[in-house]
Amino acid sequence: MQGGSSGIGYGLKYQARCISDVKADKDHTSFLTGTLSLKEENEVHLLRLSSGGSELLCEGLFSHPNEIWDLASCPFDQRIFSTVFSTGDSFGAAVWQIPEPYGQSNSSTLECVASLDAHVGKINCVLWCPSGKSDKLISMDEQNFVLWSLDSSKKSAEVLSKESAGMRHSLSGGAWNPHDLNSVAATSESSIQFWDLRTMKKVNSIERAHVRNVDYNLKREHILVSADDESGIHIWDLRKAKVPVQELPGHTHWTWAVRCNPEYEELILSVGTDSAVNLWFASASSERKASESPVEASRLRVNPLLNSYTDYEDSVYGLAWSSREPWIFASLSYDGRVVIESVKPFLPRR
Amino acid sequence: MATEAAPMDEKAKRMRDLLSSFYAPDPSISTSGSSISASFDNINSTSFDADQYMDLMIKKSNLEVLLQRHVQMAAEIKNLDTDLQMLVYENYNKFISATDTIKRMKSNIFGMEGNMDQLLHKIMSVQSRSDGVNTSLFEKREHIEKLHRTRNLLRKVQFIYDLPARLQKCIKSETYGDAVRFYIGAMPILKVYGDTSFQDCRRASEEAIEIIIKNLQTKLFSDSESIQARAEAAVLLKQLDVPVDSLKDKLLEKLEQSLDGLQIKPEEASLLAEHNDSSNDAESNEQLPAKIHEDAVRGFSEAMRAYREIFPDSEERLFKLAKALTAMHFENLELYIRKRVSAADFLRIFRIIWEDVILMDEVLPEAELSDLSAEAAQVTVKKFVARTFSHLQQDISDTILKFDINQKEAVEEEVLKVVLEASKKAGIQGTTDIFQDFRQLLDENIGIFVKMKDLIIGWIQNGFQDFFRSLEAQFLALSGKTSSSKDIEGGLVEGKSSDKIHAGLILVLAQLSVFVEQKVIPRVSEEIAASFSGGNSQAFENGPAFIPGELCRVFHAASEKLLQHYIDTRTQKISVLLRKRFKTPNWVKHKEPREVHMYVDMFLHELEEVGKEVKQVLPQGTFRKHKRTDSNGSNTTTSSRSNTLHNDKMTRSNSQRARSQLFETHLAKLFKQKVEIFTKVEFTQESVVTTTVKLCLKSLQEYVRLQTFNRSGFQQIQLDIQFLKAPLKETVEDEAAIDFLLDEVIVAASERCLDVIPLEPPILDKLIQAKLAKSKEHNNNNNNTVSS
Repeated sequence: MQGGSSGIGYGLKYQARCISDVKADKDHTSFLTGTLSLKEENEVHLLRLSSGGSELLCEGLFSHPNEIWDLASCPFDQRIFSTVFSTGDSFGAAVWQIPEPYGQSNSSTLECVASLDAHVGKINCVLWCPSGKSDKLISMDEQNFVLWSLDSSKKSAEVLSKESAGMRHSLSGGAWNPHDLNSVAATSESSIQFWDLRTMKKVNSIERAHVRNVDYNLKREHILVSADDESGIHIWDLRKAKVPVQELPGHTHWTWAVRCNPEYEELILSVGTDSAVNLWFASASSERKASESPVEASRLRVNPLLNSYTDYEDSVYGLAWSSREPWIFASLSYDGRVVIESVKPFLPRR
Repeated sequence: MATEAAPMDEKAKRMRDLLSSFYAPDPSISTSGSSISASFDNINSTSFDADQYMDLMIKKSNLEVLLQRHVQMAAEIKNLDTDLQMLVYENYNKFISATDTIKRMKSNIFGMEGNMDQLLHKIMSVQSRSDGVNTSLFEKREHIEKLHRTRNLLRKVQFIYDLPARLQKCIKSETYGDAVRFYIGAMPILKVYGDTSFQDCRRASEEAIEIIIKNLQTKLFSDSESIQARAEAAVLLKQLDVPVDSLKDKLLEKLEQSLDGLQIKPEEASLLAEHNDSSNDAESNEQLPAKIHEDAVRGFSEAMRAYREIFPDSEERLFKLAKALTAMHFENLELYIRKRVSAADFLRIFRIIWEDVILMDEVLPEAELSDLSAEAAQVTVKKFVARTFSHLQQDISDTILKFDINQKEAVEEEVLKVVLEASKKAGIQGTTDIFQDFRQLLDENIGIFVKMKDLIIGWIQNGFQDFFRSLEAQFLALSGKTSSSKDIEGGLVEGKSSDKIHAGLILVLAQLSVFVEQKVIPRVSEEIAASFSGGNSQAFENGPAFIPGELCRVFHAASEKLLQHYIDTRTQKISVLLRKRFKTPNWVKHKEPREVHMYVDMFLHELEEVGKEVKQVLPQGTFRKHKRTDSNGSNTTTSSRSNTLHNDKMTRSNSQRARSQLFETHLAKLFKQKVEIFTKVEFTQESVVTTTVKLCLKSLQEYVRLQTFNRSGFQQIQLDIQFLKAPLKETVEDEAAIDFLLDEVIVAASERCLDVIPLEPPILDKLIQAKLAKSKEHNNNNNNTVSS
């Protein structure tokens, strides 16, 4: 199960936490990543996988004013992305545009499309509407989340609505339901909360402490994957959210992030602070028969871990599947190393 | 020849016609044949034409042939002539003899009529004489007949008058059969004349008969009479038109009622069993219940036998009764084993029941009781086996849960150890007992058990398999780890209570799983191999029998899972602590560090608890640790200090230098062998503690990475970590990893620090000493309060 050195590596200059797939780039498999350095000048790298898939090239290098805690690429315009950044004692979020001739590799400045400045506390993440067309954005801090409408031509973002989750729940992140665009899942200290964007009301919640990351299954409605510090990965069916459908052991230390494959519904990737990326095969569906005898169930307990990529020096925080080539994913460890791996050998036969 | 033929022609033709009409089977054919087809060459046909034939002959043949033909024909004609003569002669002879006979008849019949007349006359005279005799004797004969009739009548009257006396006599001599015969004989007369002339007589005899009926009934009901006698009585009663059916019903009802008495009620069952136990000492004292029961059943079966003979048509009902009794027995047995019952007791009761069944089966072989009861017995034994296993499981879990553990006890007193020992013992003892019980089952030589031996072995093997499986499931459920396997009954409930379950108990469960894997399962498989093998063939049809390898694997996995779960719950607790520590303050505006933060104390306290729990439950690691703690303790501290000094030197000057230091540590990291932080957990005290510490430090590092610190914040972290170093190393096996992790925390903090200026070592030392002194004082205080 050794990860080996099959992956294609790329080194950032500084430490980094976040990497994002450039979904709008239909011609290339590209990723955006940003560094996290308190004292140096931070950079955003636009990486492109060469057509042969053997090299990872830096297509653009842009300086970013502050250290980047979260980065998300716009699903409809490959030149636009959002970041959440910190100046040390305060947080900010903004939408950026990569300047026009971005082919040159020398560092150039990013154009700020809009500043999402409706927050005071620590901002966690910015979510793009997953429909791929809508210009809606959500930004989340520990207490509030704000729905924005972005007008990239006018370079402005307008607050559509704002809702406070309350002091008690300190939100830590979230995911926008790709099957129901009015629904957003937000992770908080004690639960996963589901918000309806039309009413801006909490409609549902899963009581689960210390959930670090959630992701919707793109292929199958109602399926949500969550990662938490202690108990690994849980797969939930939102229609019966009392108990998880399946449990995966996760990582030896914290499971930092999970991502469902955009194409192969059974594949789940997780990264953890044990410096590993795990590829899971979670066939578990909600239809799993209750009639299974314990004997059978135990037989079915085959190892869901398909592979563990362990060739990392530090905790891995960043993770993104390529939506163009769904068997490719990019991972980013804290020491600034981007590794592109292909899961082709593990693809389920169809 | 033609001339000769011509005169012959007429005559011959006539002759031929005659002959053919005489001999031909169907003259019409011959006539029709002559008219239609005229074959010339066939001499025998009616249409034969001699001239044509001649012509043909002459034309066709040469002289020689003609001559031959002539000779032949002449011979044939001669032959025919002689034949004809013979025929005529014979017929003539017959005719002559017929004429002779007729002539003789005519002469013989002459004179017969006169004789006939004479005969008639004589017969007439005989008749008249006989008539005379008849008339003369008629009167006398009539008289005689009358007399005879009267005599018969008188005799009957006499009999009827004698009847009562005779009946009495019969009663006295108890020859009820005769009495009944007499009475039935007299019945028609009594019926007709009973109201008039024989009133007294009838009354008397009826009275007598009533007595007889009564006697017969008592005889029928009395169990002391022989069956033969009772059967006879029943037959007699039937002859007397007494409603026997109602009697039968009554008897059978009585029998049914007696069933209740035969029941082995669960309460009594234990009594039965107990009494049997004590029977060795106090055998003579009293009738033992078992004995009483046996007698009762014997009586019952005797009665059944009797009734069967008495009422041959009541078999159905008796079958039903017997079946009901058997069913009841087994039901009661089932009720009985619902409580905890030892195999000996179970067998004792079973034996009693089986004896009953055999007794009844003897009486009513057609009722197929043995089949019925064999089925019931199978079910019951199976249930017994299953129940025994569930009891064992209950025992074990009870032992585990018996101790109401609260945090303090778990750490202070060695409750965990006690629990572990107790449950180990429960496991071993339980399996030993269970084997004893089952061996008793197998040794039992009641027929049914011998037959079921293979089945029982199969059940036992299956039982063990299921038992271990459910034990594992229960362990996991108890540990609160089974949120996904809620199909296990009550899993949700367990899950809810899982918050309450003490972490130490999870450790106990883990160790217990190891124990089961290494001790109990091999032992069980040995036992099975020794005395319960052979049932495989049947068992395999029903599913997998006992597979120790698989179970070992299951328990191995479970033990690892549980151990991991223990570590998880422990680190979780610490993680919460750390999270609070790092989330609450504003690290960017942190004040200068004054003392070691108290979360360090809490952290160490938690670790201490873990250490204590682990020490109670897990074995010590086999290598080094022991010597090290004391002798190396000082060594490590000094070395660590030199380390920090080294670090300090590097980081002393300013933030610029700090950056280079960061770079250096990165470089150092590159050249350092990558420290394996997450190694496999072993079942030793050290390994568990080390893993816990490692995980916690890793969490600490991650929390640090999420914050941004100012100089003071960094210094605070530095101070805390510095303080942690010594005690952690004391408790932990893998010092290199701990060193590495602690350094990592510092590095992480420095990376996240806006202004990295570490504390001067003297200040660091001073603060640590202050903290140490304070904690010592605190400890002393505590001790004082405890002692006072």
